[in-house]
Amino acid sequence: MILFAGLAILAGVLVSLSRQINGRLALSTSAMESSFWNHIVGLGFITAAALLFGGLFAGEPAQAPWWAYLGGPVGVIFIAAGSWLIAKIGAAQTAMLIIAGQMISGVVLDIVMGAPGNPWARTAGVALILAGMWVSHRGKTR
Amino acid sequence: MTTPTSAPRFYHFAAAFGTGGLLTLMVLFNGTLAGFGSLFFASWVPHLTGTIAALLILLILRPKHTSAVRPPLWTYLGGVSGGITVMLTSATMNTALALSGTIALGLAGQVAFSLFADMRGLFGLPQRMPNGRDYLSLGLIVAGSLILIFFGGSA
Repeated sequence: MILFAGLAILAGVLVSLSRQINGRLALSTSAMESSFWNHIVGLGFITAAALLFGGLFAGEPAQAPWWAYLGGPVGVIFIAAGSWLIAKIGAAQTAMLIIAGQMISGVVLDIVMGAPGNPWARTAGVALILAGMWVSHRGKTR
Repeated sequence: MTTPTSAPRFYHFAAAFGTGGLLTLMVLFNGTLAGFGSLFFASWVPHLTGTIAALLILLILRPKHTSAVRPPLWTYLGGVSGGITVMLTSATMNTALALSGTIALGLAGQVAFSLFADMRGLFGLPQRMPNGRDYLSLGLIVAGSLILIFFGGSA
């Protein structure tokens, strides 16, 4: 259990590490080029891992709805934006605001799709996140 | 080495917040894909189509290099770190941690390492010392996120 908890924390560390490395590459090149290298190097790595472990095409991937295949282009913008932002507002602010945006849009998506959830917890969570963004914004921008 | 940094502007905040919204879409798309195919497939496909999309955008926009000096080789390896993340997440998701625990602990790791990196100015990025206001803001956002992850039904 402690091992898996450690691995889950490590996964978060690697998200931040990846954004920093991509951000450094974007400083010398451009955010979009950084996103390109992130994707092609990641593609090579995952292909190698899939060949090693097998099962890449397991299941019924052809049955998935067409829109499920749109994650790639969205990811390109996501990585480019993160690479650009990290040099402008720092790793912690970037992480924090991306998390805030993910959480709040996640709640909106859940409500739109009619996913079950506790409305009080949703309200409290969104309110705390908005308060945190307000505190940060008041202190930083001009 | 590092570029001079200006004060963060409102559009930086708005862009970062919107980028988080993109992540929700990616989780929806890639997660749906994982429901039909393997976890490898759900990460392999977006990397493949993303590579093609990024290449097309580069060919059309031809963004200028901000520096004539070639960056060190390790700066090209961000994708490896991202690939390992996928594998770690898929390994922990099906344990007692479940998806919510995996997300919450990942969030903690991400925030802690980001703060450390800012303080040290790791990897040639600008150094920043977080102040009390930063910690307060961070605490509020993490607290709100944990409530949503564990009680909001959005995990």
